[in-house]
Amino acid sequence: MATTPQANLAAVPALAPLRPVVWPRRTQRTLSNGMQVVLVESHTIPKFDAQLLIRRGNASTARETAGLAEMTATVIRAGTSSRSLMRIEEDLRRMGADLSTSAGVDTSAISFSGLTEFSEELLGLAADLAQNASFPEAEFERERRQRLEEVKIERTTPGFLAGERIRQVLFGAHPYATVAPSEAQVAAYRREQLAACYKKLYAPGDALFLAVGAFSADRMMDQIERAFGSWRAPATPEPAHPALADVRGRRVHLVHLPGTVQAQVLIGNLAITRHHPDWMPLVLGNAVFGGAFNSRLVINIREQKGYTYSPRSAVSALRHHGYFTAAAAVRNDVVAATLTEIFYELDRMRSLPVPDDELNDTKTYLSGVFSLGLATQDGLAGQLATVYLNQLPENYLETYRDAVHALTAADVLAAARKHFDSANAQIVVVGDRAQVEEQAALFGPLEIRDAHGNLL
Amino acid sequence: MTKLQIPIESTTLANGLRVVISPDHAAPFVTVGVYYNIGFRLEPQGRSGFAHLFEHMMFQGSENAGKMMHIKLINSSGGVLNGSTRYDVTNYFEAVPSNALERSLWLEADRMRALKVDDENLRNQRDVVKEEVRVNVFNQPYGGFPWLDLPPVANRNWANAHNFYGDFSDLDAATLGDVQNFFRTYYAPNNAVLLILGDVQPDEGFRLAKKYFESIPAGKLPPAMDASEPPQNEERRGLVEEKFGTLPALAIGYHAPKRRTADWYALAMVDQALHGGRAGRMFRSLVHDKQIAVETSGGIHYPMGDVFDYNGPMLMVTTIMHKPECSVDETIAAYDAVIREVQEKGIAADEMAPLKVKFRSDYYSTLEAGMGGYMPRFGLMHYLACFTLFDNDPALVNSVLDGFLDVTPAQAQSAAQKYLVRSNRAIVERRPVMKGAA
Repeated sequence: MATTPQANLAAVPALAPLRPVVWPRRTQRTLSNGMQVVLVESHTIPKFDAQLLIRRGNASTARETAGLAEMTATVIRAGTSSRSLMRIEEDLRRMGADLSTSAGVDTSAISFSGLTEFSEELLGLAADLAQNASFPEAEFERERRQRLEEVKIERTTPGFLAGERIRQVLFGAHPYATVAPSEAQVAAYRREQLAACYKKLYAPGDALFLAVGAFSADRMMDQIERAFGSWRAPATPEPAHPALADVRGRRVHLVHLPGTVQAQVLIGNLAITRHHPDWMPLVLGNAVFGGAFNSRLVINIREQKGYTYSPRSAVSALRHHGYFTAAAAVRNDVVAATLTEIFYELDRMRSLPVPDDELNDTKTYLSGVFSLGLATQDGLAGQLATVYLNQLPENYLETYRDAVHALTAADVLAAARKHFDSANAQIVVVGDRAQVEEQAALFGPLEIRDAHGNLL
Repeated sequence: MTKLQIPIESTTLANGLRVVISPDHAAPFVTVGVYYNIGFRLEPQGRSGFAHLFEHMMFQGSENAGKMMHIKLINSSGGVLNGSTRYDVTNYFEAVPSNALERSLWLEADRMRALKVDDENLRNQRDVVKEEVRVNVFNQPYGGFPWLDLPPVANRNWANAHNFYGDFSDLDAATLGDVQNFFRTYYAPNNAVLLILGDVQPDEGFRLAKKYFESIPAGKLPPAMDASEPPQNEERRGLVEEKFGTLPALAIGYHAPKRRTADWYALAMVDQALHGGRAGRMFRSLVHDKQIAVETSGGIHYPMGDVFDYNGPMLMVTTIMHKPECSVDETIAAYDAVIREVQEKGIAADEMAPLKVKFRSDYYSTLEAGMGGYMPRFGLMHYLACFTLFDNDPALVNSVLDGFLDVTPAQAQSAAQKYLVRSNRAIVERRPVMKGAA
């Protein structure tokens, strides 16, 4: 069995000297209304990519109801005081533009891209959405019905259910526990709630505007100033959130989905945010463990054992808390075997230093992929969003690769011991209980719920 | 609007391998691809899903690089890689820092020269592929809709009508002999194109291509298989059960005109008018005005690809997720009204102009990173490959837009009248088993 990769190493061409990366030159300004603007020229295609990011999301409105910022974002593009929904769509098409409005737990976003030749007009449309959304009753009703149907479909999707369950288990009473509303919550949304949410969240003082593309930064800055300079709305402070409960001991959370022919297996534990000193070693450790194709988990349960198609692990950083997950969709009869291997690999990360070769390969992988992400307009916009939304150091991009390369096996081991919390990992299995319950129960006290969260 | 002037240089090696290079030194990366002129359309009968299973085998080991080595050597050079199987091509590609160009060419050449795989590799990847099918089709609401649902109903030639992901019994029947046969038959340098994009000097790229690929012997290619569809005389209907979702769904497909004919350009603009996002007529009528549908989408080659990246019979597809309280007949009637309108009134100039702007804008985005998008210039690579293999003209990348931008309202109307007729279409219903309508 080919468990160790083999190559005729003498034949493999050596790497040439690395060519330097050209770091994106940022042009920054804070408008008089408090909106922060960051621009980068990137002349790959005659278009630009922009994001108006509001540092408030579903967590800020969780006390009212779940998913309110998201529903608000959806209906924002359905009409303003001067444009109907179809007018907005026709304007976008005329400018060769795409636009989406969305919200997650921490952030709401109006994201758009279009031909640079129409930039002034497109910025005007985005500014109209940010300031003058009118929440037409008929459009609201139509979007609410659509959301209701989406919510129903989500509750039949194993990957969604596993992701939802782990957040509920890890975050308890904190708003981060909720990734989507229930059908009943969507049915109870009222138009006035959305309008109030809009008024509360969409304020220039909480806004970050990013644009990357084929423009002159000076001219773009002037256009942004003209489109958004007169935006006035008071920012409201973010509400305080409850502290997290300490989730101790492995427990198994089975979500029963009748008729499934495969089980979604996921383990997770609370971890850290990007501001924690362990963030970089944890990212590196995750890449060794299961964050890359050439990682231990993928080699083990896919390439050696054939249990699954796309196993992956991730460290996820929200604004106030972070968490770690490892997940795989596996055939029903190998649920226990998969969990055994996941914990074996996790405990190996916690107990033995990563060998030098493997560590160096993974460092090169991380720094290469990082720089690759700077080479397209939307990739670059995503990287800038990470830096500026999280208020990371100004030189974060430029120093990232050096920071990765400076890490040692001891750093990774220490981070793994703290944040790959295998003894307290929470186990989620989404599947047909008749097929998977016995196997799941081997790993800890078992709780079974249906797709709506009701205890069975 | 300025004309596209993407630099393209190309050559053909002595063994028939075509090499296309598009330099751009803005960032120190190269995107490398090898496209083989074989997709799931032409996989052997009795071996449905084989082209895709074979794609997995190309990562299992070659002459000098054993199992996992392709993945390890690309990842540990700071790059990412993948492959995919489509109607008419199978591709293998990586984006790496430009200092790893030679290494990635060595790897691609090594697996073009010889596969070195065993029964255990085959068993392993058969298991992996089955889990891939389960996660994407059997265990997913609307899994396989519409891309696995429509072809068997709309088509009569097995090439176009079979299960492209593969029946499990066919996957189980595949042998190592099949793998080596398929490799010998289709994975020859004279049935492929090598693409190098980004931070590369063309001279250097051609030199390295020669160094690593030119000694791979050419193969004797089988005669072109007939993938043509017999004429259709009446509407075709099909029904598939939806196990998880609670919304009824419809997929409607019309046979599209042959690629790069005048009708094809014209129908592409009709497609844009119908399916061009929320400004499109389907959204406006079915979702917004009549509120019969919750969601609608579509396009030529939807959802697997676009108007450019196939080479044979293809459908223009519309998908509609409609409210359970609206009947299938009612939904189709509303759909037909949209079709009738474009046939009777055509597309006025004030709609045609913005359609073209959007078409052009989408094309630019696709070139930069589109079609799956996590690699710089993936879309450009993809189009260069398709235009080389299907049209023998990679430079079409710079000029192909013109044909769409020249379409007149009269041409669009006449294409709608000629192709969007019932006797040229198939309709498949995805009917929920569960009653979920609140």
